[in-house]
Amino acid sequence: MTVPSKPSLPLAALLSLIPLAPALAHTGSGVAVGLQSGLLHPITGPDHLVAMVAVGLWGAQLGAPAIWVLPITFPLVMAIGGLIGLAGVPLPLVEPVVALSGLALGLLIALHVRPPLWVAAVVVGVFAIFHGYAHGRELPGAADPTAYAVGFVVATGLLHLVGILIGVMVAWPAGARLVRACGAAIGCVGLYFLLASVGVLS
Amino acid sequence: MRTKARLLAAATVAAALAAPTAAHAHLVDTRLGDFYGGALHPLTELDQLLPWVALAALAAFQGARRARWVIVAFPLALLAGGAAALLLPAPPFGPILGIGLVAATGLALAAAARLPLPVLIGLSTVMGLLHGLQNGQGLPASTDRLLFLAGATAAGYAVMTLATGGALAFLRGVGGWRPIALRATGSWVAAVGIMVLGLQFAAPATAG
Repeated sequence: MTVPSKPSLPLAALLSLIPLAPALAHTGSGVAVGLQSGLLHPITGPDHLVAMVAVGLWGAQLGAPAIWVLPITFPLVMAIGGLIGLAGVPLPLVEPVVALSGLALGLLIALHVRPPLWVAAVVVGVFAIFHGYAHGRELPGAADPTAYAVGFVVATGLLHLVGILIGVMVAWPAGARLVRACGAAIGCVGLYFLLASVGVLS
Repeated sequence: MRTKARLLAAATVAAALAAPTAAHAHLVDTRLGDFYGGALHPLTELDQLLPWVALAALAAFQGARRARWVIVAFPLALLAGGAAALLLPAPPFGPILGIGLVAATGLALAAAARLPLPVLIGLSTVMGLLHGLQNGQGLPASTDRLLFLAGATAAGYAVMTLATGGALAFLRGVGGWRPIALRATGSWVAAVGIMVLGLQFAAPATAG
C-alpha cells in the first residue's frame, strides 16, 4: 500500500471532519431549539444588539455604581416588559422605541452625558420594558419557553458585558474618545432603524 | 516514520467514517442505563438546573458554614421527593411552584440577600422535595425506579456541592466585581423565572 505524502494526511483528516450530512443536533429536543432561538433573538436584530451594547458602554462610562446597577436591574425590568407582552397589553410603537433606544443611548455616550443615577436608571428602565416586550411576545410560541427565556436573557446580559468590556477603555484618554466614537456609531445605527421603522427609509 | 504515516492514514479513515453522521444532542435515548438516565434527567431540565445553580450561589453568599447545610438538606430532600413520587401523584401546583422558586431564588441572589439559616434550609428542602417528586413522575414501567432516583439524587448532590464550592471559591478571589457578577447572574435567573411564571398564568396550556 502506498501511503500518501505526509502533508496531505492531516489535511485529509481535517477535511473529513467537515460533516457531509447536516448535523441535526436539535432533533427532538425543545430545550436546544428554544435556547438557540432565544440566544439568537437579540443578536440577529441589530437595533436590539447595539442598544444592549450601549447599556453596558454607558454604565462603564458613568462608572460605579452605574456600571453594575444598570446590568443587574436591566434584566429584571426587561422581565416586566416581557410580562406586559405576555398579558397581551398593547404597547404602541415598540419597534420605533427599540430603535430610539439605540439612538438615545448612543447620543448620551457620544456627548458624555452624566445624569444622576436615578435618571440613568429610569431612561434605561423605560427602554428595557420595550426590549422585554419585543422578546416576550415570542415566548408563548417558543419550542421551550424556559430555554427561550434563558437564551435571550443570557444573550442580552452578554451584550451588556461586551459593552462594559469596551467601556473599560475609558480609563485611558484615547480609550475614552474611542468609547464616545462607539456611542456615535451606535446612535447612527439607531437613527437608521428609527427612520426605517417609521417608514422614512425602506 | 512509516508507522506514524500509517497511523495517520488509519485516523483519517476513522474520522471520515465517524464525522458525517448527524449529531443528536438529547441524551434520553442513549441507553446509558437507569442510573445515568436519572442523573441526566434533571441536568437536561432548565427548570431544575437553573434554580439549583442559583441556590448554590445564594448559599455561597451566606458563607461556607451555612452553605454546608444546603449541601446536606437539598440532596436528602431530592431523595425524599423521589421516594414520595412512588406513592403520590404530581401536585397540580408543581409547575407554578417550580417556576416561582426560580424567580424567588434568582431575586434573592440578585439582592445578595442574607437569609436566616432556617429559611435557607427550608428553601433547599422545598426545592429538593418538589424536584424529586417531579423527577419520579411518568417513568416507563421498564425503568428501575430505585436506580433512576439514585442517579437523580447523585446528580443533585454533585451539582449542588460543585456549584456551591465553585461559587465560594469565586467569591474569595480578588476583585470587587465577583459578587456583582454572581448577582447579575441572579438577575438573569430571576428575569427568566418572572417571565415563565407570567406565561404559566397567561397560557397554562402552552407552558404546562
